[in-house]
Amino acid sequence: MRNVAVVGAGQTNHARRRKDVTQVGLAREAVTRALEDADLTMDDIDSVVVCTGPVLFAAVNQPEKWLVDAIGARLKPVVRVTSGGGTGLAGALAAVNQVRGGFADRVLVVAYDKLSEGALQYSISTLYDPFWGREFAVGIMGFSAAYWRARMDTLGHTEEAAAMVAVKNHKNAMLNPYAHVRKEVTVEDVLNSRPLCWPIKLLDVPPISDGACAVVLASEDAAKGSPDPAWIRGMAYYSEGENVAHRSMIQSEPLTIAAKSVYQQAGITNPRRQCDVVEVQEPYTCFELSYYEGLGLCEPGGAAELIASGATAIDGDIPVNPSGGCMGANPIGATALIRLAEIAQQVRGRAGDHQIPDAKVGLMQAGGGWANLRGVAVVSNTKG
Amino acid sequence: MVLNTLDRVAVVASAQTQLRGAWDRLQHVDLISRAVDGVLRGSGLRMRDIDVVINSGSDVLDGRSISNCGFLGAMGANHKEESRVEEDGLFSAVYGTTKVACGSASVALIIAYSKPSESDVSGYYATLTDPFYQRALGLDHLGAAGLMANQYLTSTDADEEALLRIAAESWRKAGDNPLVETGDVPSRADIEASDLVADPLRALQISRPVDGAVAVLIATERVARRVTDRPVWITGMGAAMDSHFIADRAPGELEACQAAARMATKRAGLTDVSGVGLAEVTAGSSAGEAMVVEALGLAKRGHGVDCYADDASVSVNPSGGALPADPIMATGLVRLAEAAERLAGRRGDADVGTRALVHGSGGLGMQNHCVFTLEV
Repeated sequence: MRNVAVVGAGQTNHARRRKDVTQVGLAREAVTRALEDADLTMDDIDSVVVCTGPVLFAAVNQPEKWLVDAIGARLKPVVRVTSGGGTGLAGALAAVNQVRGGFADRVLVVAYDKLSEGALQYSISTLYDPFWGREFAVGIMGFSAAYWRARMDTLGHTEEAAAMVAVKNHKNAMLNPYAHVRKEVTVEDVLNSRPLCWPIKLLDVPPISDGACAVVLASEDAAKGSPDPAWIRGMAYYSEGENVAHRSMIQSEPLTIAAKSVYQQAGITNPRRQCDVVEVQEPYTCFELSYYEGLGLCEPGGAAELIASGATAIDGDIPVNPSGGCMGANPIGATALIRLAEIAQQVRGRAGDHQIPDAKVGLMQAGGGWANLRGVAVVSNTKG
Repeated sequence: MVLNTLDRVAVVASAQTQLRGAWDRLQHVDLISRAVDGVLRGSGLRMRDIDVVINSGSDVLDGRSISNCGFLGAMGANHKEESRVEEDGLFSAVYGTTKVACGSASVALIIAYSKPSESDVSGYYATLTDPFYQRALGLDHLGAAGLMANQYLTSTDADEEALLRIAAESWRKAGDNPLVETGDVPSRADIEASDLVADPLRALQISRPVDGAVAVLIATERVARRVTDRPVWITGMGAAMDSHFIADRAPGELEACQAAARMATKRAGLTDVSGVGLAEVTAGSSAGEAMVVEALGLAKRGHGVDCYADDASVSVNPSGGALPADPIMATGLVRLAEAAERLAGRRGDADVGTRALVHGSGGLGMQNHCVFTLEV
């Protein structure tokens, strides 16, 4: 199979409301930075994959049709892949397949959301069946709270353990110049913050952001000019199609399946020891705990102990979300690609103030839908 | 563009529901189930043999965010790799083909569906124009088709008679296609007498939104040889998107369609399209269809109608095409299914040769184009 590498990445300065740019101007900002980072121009790009959250998030149908002119992609292949919150990774996977399948040599992946322009929770509520679910206006929070509550009993994912995730990620975001929220919090702050849907409290929830990310993927031949390619060692994105009553949300099956597939592709048998840096997409703090287990960073039921040990802190042995994760910025359609960009920049030594020294292998997770779409990727500074 | 050889990848089976003005007793999930059941039947493949499911549909038409999530069970995607390409279904087939070509899947199930009878089609198109400068004007697919038809007529030798003939031929062929519900097939006179919707286009010259679902199986050569004695090889693919603003596009021709066709034919190693006996193409109007066949190189500029003559060397849209039946987001994948079935000789005895072009399109005024080359 053809080797594929990330040869450039860029993201915007994320904010609650970017009044200075349109949606496509926002995306262009990330594209410009990614192309500069790759030392390439649009002329070098064969194909473009666009990713956004559900179109109701930003209230423009088929936004890629508007984007094409803003990024100078006219008469190139342009297509949008959408998969809820994980869309950035689903799009990157489509791009990887375009390169591996011989459709293109260099693919630009652009992921963005301008959540200040749409009705977020209303849009999420339309996920549910229009006859039986939509009128409940459940959004995504009630559903997530119910499963966290169940994991408290079965896995010991306490409110304190989740609060430690918020503390860690907020602290890491202080080192990230692109982060939207840069404010430290304490465990007490989180525990005392306003309950929104118990046990989820205000400080368990990431912000809502405007932001974009872009990544340039290249075949081995096309990556020859790059001084520091981040090789895609494994990538997968799985779905769960069953109704809630039949699903095990104690451990996410699609996440376990995706992780197994990616570790097999990447030759990883012990992710805790073999990976130097991890980025996960945490829509609420409780999910980061769940991902520790799903990714095999600890045994099932070991997540609370793992966060408490400090192992996942930026100076721990398996740092998770040194960028600050979604707590720093959460432009939903872009967040998954930001996770990929962050681990790529880490293994390229370009992560700036939150660089993990000597990072060689990076692991990322992302997902969307009603927690039923789950993807994983591993990158490294060697082809393997 | 890249020219490294694809491992041989084939279309091995397809299935469609009938395309109808309204499937008012079936839900989306029912239409999808019928197509998926149908495509597996007789293939010897079971759901567990499918490695990846790629699908096309629209959140806006469905009135539901991440609408693929509601249909994952029906699509057989549970605990499989799955992705939604929110564009015409032929673009989903591109994704599935690359996945099979690189060896990361042996069998890809491609699905596209549409239920515009439950939606507001003009609203669907109007909301994909620029929100600040165009949307308030109410520019929808009808207005866009009319503007582009006028550009076509004023920039070429084509006349309104040509546009009427293309529409009449499309409806006549759809009348012979059991997969399209047409009712009484309108004659050329009926078309000319239908409402003037967007000058110079009459109602029956503009693609008719219909409900339906289609499923296609794409597989490696090894699987293809076991599933069918007539694999239809995918020899090339191309895609290109034009400018968003219609006024920025070349008047009277489709540059993005030309670019997509160039990419596909180059990949297939075809220096011209003279050996192509069959083309299944998508268009929003009779004028659009003329522009598509011209962009594909099947006719000279302004002479698209020649492809509809009795002695034409290529058979364009023997299925009837998109004018009588346009399941928005599924139309291009229906074209792929129709072309593959005919090349494989499973739709009667008509000789359509050994090579086909397939075309799909998306966006307002056909902004985005995708082209496949097929061979048996």
